[in-house]
Amino acid sequence: MTATATTPRVPVSRDPRVSRLTRVTGSPVLRLIVKRLLMAVPIMLGVTILTFWVLSLIPGNAAEQLLGAEATPEDVALLERQLGLDQPGVVRYLEWLQGAVTGDLGNSIVSRQPVSDVLADRLPVTGELVLLAFLISLVLAIPVALLAAHKPGGIMDRISMVVSTLGLSVANYVLALILVLVFAVTLGWLPAIGYVPLEDGLWANLEAMILPSAAIGFPLFCFYTRFLRGDLVDQMQQEEYVTTARAKGVGSWSVLIKHAFRNSSFGLITVVGLNLGALIGGTVIIEQIFALPGIGQMLLQAINTRDFVVVQAAVVIFALVAVVANLVVDLLYAVLDPRIRYGSR
Amino acid sequence: MSGERTVAYPAGDTLVSEGVIAPARAGRPAPARAGAAGEPLVVVEGLRVQFTRGGRKVNAVNGLSYRLEPGTMMAIIGESGSGKSVSSRALMGLLPPTAKISGSIRFDGRELIGLPEKDMRELRGGDIAMVFQDPARSLNPTMKIGAQITEAVRLHSDLDKRGAHARAVELLKLVRLPAAERRFHEYPHQLSGGMRQRVMIAIALAGEPRLLIADEATTALDVTTQAQIMELLVELQQRLGMAVIMISHDLGLAASYAQHVVVMYAGRAVEQAPTQTLFANVRMPYTHALLGAIPALDREPHSLFDVTPGQPPDLSALPKGCPFRPRCQYATDTCLQAPPLTEHEPEHLWACWHPVGAGAGHNSANGEQR
Ligand SMILES: Nc1ncnc2c1ncn2[C@@H]1O[C@H](COP(=O)(O)OP(=O)(O)O)[C@@H](O)[C@H]1O
Ligand code: SF4
Ligand SMILES: [Mg+2]
Repeated sequence: MTATATTPRVPVSRDPRVSRLTRVTGSPVLRLIVKRLLMAVPIMLGVTILTFWVLSLIPGNAAEQLLGAEATPEDVALLERQLGLDQPGVVRYLEWLQGAVTGDLGNSIVSRQPVSDVLADRLPVTGELVLLAFLISLVLAIPVALLAAHKPGGIMDRISMVVSTLGLSVANYVLALILVLVFAVTLGWLPAIGYVPLEDGLWANLEAMILPSAAIGFPLFCFYTRFLRGDLVDQMQQEEYVTTARAKGVGSWSVLIKHAFRNSSFGLITVVGLNLGALIGGTVIIEQIFALPGIGQMLLQAINTRDFVVVQAAVVIFALVAVVANLVVDLLYAVLDPRIRYGSR
Repeated sequence: MSGERTVAYPAGDTLVSEGVIAPARAGRPAPARAGAAGEPLVVVEGLRVQFTRGGRKVNAVNGLSYRLEPGTMMAIIGESGSGKSVSSRALMGLLPPTAKISGSIRFDGRELIGLPEKDMRELRGGDIAMVFQDPARSLNPTMKIGAQITEAVRLHSDLDKRGAHARAVELLKLVRLPAAERRFHEYPHQLSGGMRQRVMIAIALAGEPRLLIADEATTALDVTTQAQIMELLVELQQRLGMAVIMISHDLGLAASYAQHVVVMYAGRAVEQAPTQTLFANVRMPYTHALLGAIPALDREPHSLFDVTPGQPPDLSALPKGCPFRPRCQYATDTCLQAPPLTEHEPEHLWACWHPVGAGAGHNSANGEQR
């Protein structure tokens, strides 16, 4: 009997995720990063041009907003000239772009503050909100999905199904109001609105952030629970490696956690990454409700005052986050999934 | 666990397992085996498995009976859908909870149907192990080969981490995986199909099984690799003294390796005999049809062809009497009665009223000849 050493190596790339990286030769990770960053350029251009154009369609400009309703047309015209708003849109956009590519996002038209300073103040607030929302949703979703998937159709599965259906059908601003009503107004456990910076104490900061993060995190929790539960059940019922594990004598919980969850986690990472873009959008309304001085609140105010420089900054940040999130998901895959990690040798 | 386990062994693959697995074998309480001399290791009697799918009852296994002697290799063959996998998974307690199981499966005198999950789990991967059809899907793609074997080792021994590691490498050498130490740290996708199936066998051997079920274990492999894996199984079976059930749709493969053959049709055994006997005197028309379907040398290997005209049986609406009747060229009105599986000739059982080439005397159900 000849040894199998002579058997030709059969590359396995049934998994569609594999081909993405294995097709490129050389250092796949580096290639991926460069490719994504290059792809980001047209995305950024498109998004900012679109924003600029849409803003120009809204009646009124920053000069009118600044001077108020009583201002004379002469005053408005003067201020427009001072602010450079009398220039054609294309010129203004190109000027802004010229600054932006060199890292200078300009000054707010309304407050004259450098936009980078504004962002430095506001990014941490939104960042914390998003991070806490993810934390809450994942920390709850993983164990609940595991419990539900352990016995499909069982009591835990049914409860989680009902809860997640409810959670997904309630808009997050409605949920925010319910949370405020219950935990702030009725029980008085947590403040209803307002922001406390981290410097004023971790607990005070968290107290202020719990309700808004929960309002964002709860629908996410419902979504992840559903997704993960479904994927786990699929793995458990359809995947042969699960049968192998059971045939080894591995207990049902171990099969679920050590084998199925390990494989399901890749799907979960993708979903979480893709979610990030939508999640950032959700912060706009929540920051407004809870009076949190984040990017979302900044965006709304800037739209009201027609402060296109600030609006552009917010849009650039949101788009960047989406691009980077996708990149990070793919990199995580490359690091975590052995089929990709070793696939391109 | 015998201390000799981790002792260094002579280099060279053939000698590897001598003194590695054999002592453990010998260390197994011998009286249990000696006392059970002549007693079959597995006795399946009237096994039925029913699924409900879309409101319809699917009778996947319909009164299957067979016996398996310890230390022998038996083949279960039959067309796809005849209940081979379902019946063997019933033996392992691997069927989904939706399956309704009745009848009896005795393993070493112990009834397995209705056995508590805790006891069943001890048997699984311990006394009874299984190798599956598709080695590309049967291994966890996200776990290293070594981890998947040591997991099995540790479940069925009290070896510590290092001991389990050593044992896993031994097992990989036992199944002749080239460069076992290196492969230990690799992932399944880095191995060829044949190597993966060797890993699957190593996992199966981790609990020193007395029964190994190989469910179409070579079907997904190319012809050369198929032969290598089959030879490995036969060699291991003889060396380790375990019983093997090889499940296949390929009668030719069964004929080359198994000592005993059970032919299944529509979820029951329709003919059973030692391989030599069976091939010298095929009795059941369905077996006959299968035999006629063995690929000739001028045929493409693994080419598809009709086993026998007619549809495979609808497991939700089996015909009255003999399930093969709608496709059988010998069918008469007698066949409206189900023919029992009877030992018509020594060691040769079949379920048919009009066996092929057995002469007119065989037309009765209890025609004990000779
Ligand atoms: N989980 C299940 N639910 C419903 N029907 C099933 C299930 N598993 C197998 N079956 C059915 O049982 C029959 C026998 O299947 P199987 O034992 O896999 O056949 P074989 O291994 O002989 O090809 C098939 O008709 C199959 O569709
Ligand atoms: S019992 Fe009748 S129908 Fe069934 S195989 Fe024999 S001859 Fe054919
Ligand atoms: Mg099968």
